[in-house]
Amino acid sequence: MPKCTIDGQEIEVAPGTSVIRAAELAGVRVPRFCYHDDLPVDGNCRMCMVEIEKFPKLQIACGTTVNEGMVIKTQVTSPKAKAAQKDTLEFLLVNHPIDCPVCDQAGECYLQDQYMDNGLHDSRVEIEEKINKRKVVDIGPIMLDAERCVVCSRCIRYEREVTKTNLLEFVNRGGSTQISTYNGGPITHEYAGNLVDVCPVGALLSKDFRFKMRVWFLKETDSVCPGCSTGCNMTIDHRDGEAYRFRPRRNVEVNKSWMCDPGRDLYKLIAPDRVATAHRFGGVVATTKEIVHELAVKLQAAGADSAFLASPRASNEDAYTFKKVAQAVGGRLDFRVGNPQDKLNVRKDEILQREDRHPNTQGLLDQGLGVTGVETLLADCKAGKVQVLVLQDGSMLNDPAVAEAAKTVPYVAVMATHQGTHLMNAHAVIPVAMWAETDGTFTNFERRVQRFKRAFDAPGDAKPRWEVGLDLLERLGQPMNAASAGDVFVEMAVATPAYADFTHRSLGPLGKSLATADKAQASA
Amino acid sequence: MASNVITVNRDTRPGYMPILYGMYLTLRNMFETLFVKGRSATIEYPEKKRNISGRYRGVHLLTAREDGTPKCVACYMCATVCPAECIYIEAGERPEKKIEKYPTRFEIDLLRCVYCGFCVDACPEEAILMSRENDLVGTSRAELIIDRENLMHRGKLAEVGKGYHPTDHDVRRPVRIAALERLKSEHGIVPQMPASRR
Amino acid sequence: MSQETVRIMLSMPALEGEVALSKPAYRILSEKFGEKILRATDYRGDLAITVAGSAWKEAARTLRDHPELDYKLFLDLCGVDYLNDDSRPLRFEVVLHLYSVTKKHHIRLKTAVPEKTPVCDTLTDVFKGANWFEREAFDLYGLIFTGHPNLTRILTHDDFIGHPMRKDFPTGKRYVSKKPKEWLLEVPKGSEHLVLNIGPSHPAMHGTFRVQALLDGEIIKDCEAEIGYLHRNFEKMAEERTYWQIIPYTDRLNYCSAFINGHGWALAVEKLLGVPAPPRAEAIRVILSEFSRIMDHFICISTNVVDLGAITPFFVVFRAREEIYDLLDSVCGARLTVSYARIGGVAQDVPDDFEARCRAILVWIKEVSDQMEALLTTNAIFANRFKDVGTMSKEDALSYGWVGPCLRGSGIAYDIRKDHPYSGYEQYDFDIPVGTVGDCYDRYLVRVEEIKQSARIIDQALQKMPKGDFITQDRRVALPPKSEVYGNIESLMNHFKLVYDGILAAPGEVYGYVEGANGELGYYIVSDGKKHPSRVKVRPPCYNIYQAYPQMIKGTLIADAVAVIGGLNVVAGELDR
Repeated sequence: MPKCTIDGQEIEVAPGTSVIRAAELAGVRVPRFCYHDDLPVDGNCRMCMVEIEKFPKLQIACGTTVNEGMVIKTQVTSPKAKAAQKDTLEFLLVNHPIDCPVCDQAGECYLQDQYMDNGLHDSRVEIEEKINKRKVVDIGPIMLDAERCVVCSRCIRYEREVTKTNLLEFVNRGGSTQISTYNGGPITHEYAGNLVDVCPVGALLSKDFRFKMRVWFLKETDSVCPGCSTGCNMTIDHRDGEAYRFRPRRNVEVNKSWMCDPGRDLYKLIAPDRVATAHRFGGVVATTKEIVHELAVKLQAAGADSAFLASPRASNEDAYTFKKVAQAVGGRLDFRVGNPQDKLNVRKDEILQREDRHPNTQGLLDQGLGVTGVETLLADCKAGKVQVLVLQDGSMLNDPAVAEAAKTVPYVAVMATHQGTHLMNAHAVIPVAMWAETDGTFTNFERRVQRFKRAFDAPGDAKPRWEVGLDLLERLGQPMNAASAGDVFVEMAVATPAYADFTHRSLGPLGKSLATADKAQASA
Repeated sequence: MASNVITVNRDTRPGYMPILYGMYLTLRNMFETLFVKGRSATIEYPEKKRNISGRYRGVHLLTAREDGTPKCVACYMCATVCPAECIYIEAGERPEKKIEKYPTRFEIDLLRCVYCGFCVDACPEEAILMSRENDLVGTSRAELIIDRENLMHRGKLAEVGKGYHPTDHDVRRPVRIAALERLKSEHGIVPQMPASRR
Repeated sequence: MSQETVRIMLSMPALEGEVALSKPAYRILSEKFGEKILRATDYRGDLAITVAGSAWKEAARTLRDHPELDYKLFLDLCGVDYLNDDSRPLRFEVVLHLYSVTKKHHIRLKTAVPEKTPVCDTLTDVFKGANWFEREAFDLYGLIFTGHPNLTRILTHDDFIGHPMRKDFPTGKRYVSKKPKEWLLEVPKGSEHLVLNIGPSHPAMHGTFRVQALLDGEIIKDCEAEIGYLHRNFEKMAEERTYWQIIPYTDRLNYCSAFINGHGWALAVEKLLGVPAPPRAEAIRVILSEFSRIMDHFICISTNVVDLGAITPFFVVFRAREEIYDLLDSVCGARLTVSYARIGGVAQDVPDDFEARCRAILVWIKEVSDQMEALLTTNAIFANRFKDVGTMSKEDALSYGWVGPCLRGSGIAYDIRKDHPYSGYEQYDFDIPVGTVGDCYDRYLVRVEEIKQSARIIDQALQKMPKGDFITQDRRVALPPKSEVYGNIESLMNHFKLVYDGILAAPGEVYGYVEGANGELGYYIVSDGKKHPSRVKVRPPCYNIYQAYPQMIKGTLIADAVAVIGGLNVVAGELDR
């Protein structure tokens, strides 16, 4: 383990660590453009200059590996490094257009940030002297503006190393260098959104987010993508109860810094067509309280003649309270509509996506919610053995088998997020919150438990599913001592031994893997 | 500097002369106001209007380009800086690709506005100014939330004039002055305001 | 100051220990309390001492009584919520600011209070002024002061739920008061006393505050005050604004002399940042502040005598006030809510005819103040109504935390412009008038003299007006000039960052103060390094002054109560914040 000194602070790092990483560990952020944590080092922007003792010249922090006894001075203590960084920034700005007012990157732009941190210099270039390049170029899901580019090649390396599509390349030379797709063609793969994130400036911008909102208005909430069983870590950017975009959050063990475009698009599902009030058959509006009470009465009457279909879209907490309700009345219980458990580990592509389009199939498997078997359960429904059917997600009624079976059940209660004709046959619709509107955890395909947080309030009367579950349990006479999703998780961890070591807090921002926890238990 | 603490003289001898003096003052002012021109402190509003300065922060207005479209590029600077949060903007894409962005909606709630002028300070395009208009009357709250069209076409403005606006004050930085001189002497270029750029 | 030094100062951590150790206050307190003195800092020259909760009251008493310290002037007491600061084991802090008139020194005494049992000893028996401040801390933060005689809500109403200044209280949450508080004081049963409400909207109250008096004939037997009608929680709003977005809000504090508030705010933030304003800006600020002070004194005196039935002086002085408003309009762009101060300077340079206009107004001021004096000072009716009415002793004035003309009227020559000169007041030659008795007449005479002294200051400042920048060139603080923003990317980025990220002050806390028209106007700012201040506390001078009012008028005639309130110059915008 080599030891080095950074700005007078001694630090020990793993062998092979670059100076830029070591400085980060020591709490100093060396400015950079081309360096990216999950891309190979290129060293072309010359921004991350640091002074290292015994080196005659300044070195780039990203391309230098820490050796034993290195004495490194960053811009904090070295005026030389500071001056070099300032000059580099001035060079990068020579041909930069005067675009902040119309550029969506403003607010998260490396140029702006580093100008305020290190630059603060005067301009020596006039508008008329700047080299004009292509602007507002439509390349599929991305808008390209070559004038704003700082030629860091992050996007090119991303295309080469991550998606392996090589769609972007530099053209021209010297001051006229710019990025381009071949023949100006569009970006065709499903991971284009990451190009926007890797771009440190406003050269590549999302067409979807274009001009929608200024980023400094947005609040960030840590979350997990509910799009498939990979469970990519992400951030919800929202303002006044409305999500504007999803961004990947770095988690080396799951998604690195990446996220797929279908996952990013999920924010569009949150606002429209939501069920905001509880209603009965035929759309008769009622309060959630009345409906839940009615359901509890029906369930008590039906007893074992009830059936419960859980949803792998629900969080672990939702599933646990749902299971408790089913156990309280002794009803049939399963969740495997469409057999998601078989697709759980099947890759859809080589990068992130998986065939199972539910975030929490593994979590439900861990809790043992697949008891009765969906076929048996639905057959019982059709045979008239079931008096009450409770569905944890309205979209299950889109499945023809479920819809057909539901028609024969005298009382169908649905926890629904979105409106639609599929809810026509339900006798009771309870509005529930989506994952962005509550706290909870998902367990991904490789048994990693990851936490997501509440970003904003659910519309209307909608409540989290776990809260509806708690309400039902109380009305059924078996109340649980829990007031928050965190409390439910603690109880669940008692009942599900694999989760025993965890609480919401101890999961941390990046989640914990059950597989490693199992191993640790086995070795102990 | 010399600092003195002086004790006020409360040893006065109160009398009734000041009361007579007050009557004299009142009468004098009355006759002066009636007969001496220019002595009156009041004006016949609304026939006459007060003289207000060219820095007055009245109702806002949006400036236009030569083709009549708003100069505003919907950068949200004014909405960001507004301490009263009274500016609402929605941005859209212009059909021609030259300027890219413009406000499809631009509304100011004049009842919320505190007329601090920060929006003018924050605007990087000289798109929002303040007029000297200050008699603001409406019959409903909704009427005083004025939109883009109203902000741009203000017939009254010719009458009241421009209020608080960026005076392109001294270019303070020596480097900039040197650059301007170099540009003029070597290239013969004199930089213009943003209206003519690109 | 060069760019380099500014940046170093911006990131300077709080100095601990060594500097503070040499201060007598720290030495004496640590000798007496030893382990109970937890921390002492000297950030930006503000001595702050943190004591354990058990030593709170005794430490305050020691500061007041120890002959070497003599911190007799009670300035401010407030709560602070450190919910988001994980490094602090205890959530709340109670902060006390004191001043020693003889040693000319400010001190800040702090103690931490836990979240579960937010209890702290009361200081009401040490300083009379602590009463309302502790009620305010209870109201806004839910801190409980054991031993407080009347720990009830003061700024919010009784139907309010929760404590609005707590960090976890949602900003937009509001409650409507369903019923007014009918009785402020206990009426003895069976007596024939009359209970009279004066205010909240009574012409003699100069704003919306309410006094309920128990009358025996014309004599006020008992009296209780209620405030908060104009409360808008300036401090909570400030926690969600950047440093320069707060400037327009300060205009609404003491709206009679709005510019001084902005001046004080700018100075406090400049102290926090360590970035001074250029001399020209300081001179402009001094001139406008003094004009504001003159206006404020004019209003105070003239409305006071209007209450007593004399309307001539009112019209006389308002001519001059009108001229000053016109001047403010031509300089600032608004007459009342000027929003002219900026962090590091002023919004724009003064117009070309500034000096000529100022001089013309000085002539006006001379004329009308002479007329006003001739009308009032030796007026038998006026003198009889003012002399020996509403007398305040030196000791009580200090204990209540009186400042400004009211304190000077009681004979204590404390003027920040002299004792802690800011904005270049040390260059100007002026006198501090003080009274001897501390009655309404003394306060009136002090104000009249201050008008003359202010005119002297303006005259000198105009003579010495330096050339140069009107706002600092520090790119971390001041917006770049518009011509630069339009023309180059560097300044445009600078402009953008300053607008959406604001000014980033290093973590730390300062207490900045100016001599407002009513006395020491202080801003206690806590920064956690983010773009919004984490806590802003205004020390409004008239909060302390009005607090003493019910005590002052007990036992007097009801007509005297009217004479007293006008002379105190209580401004509701500042009182209720």
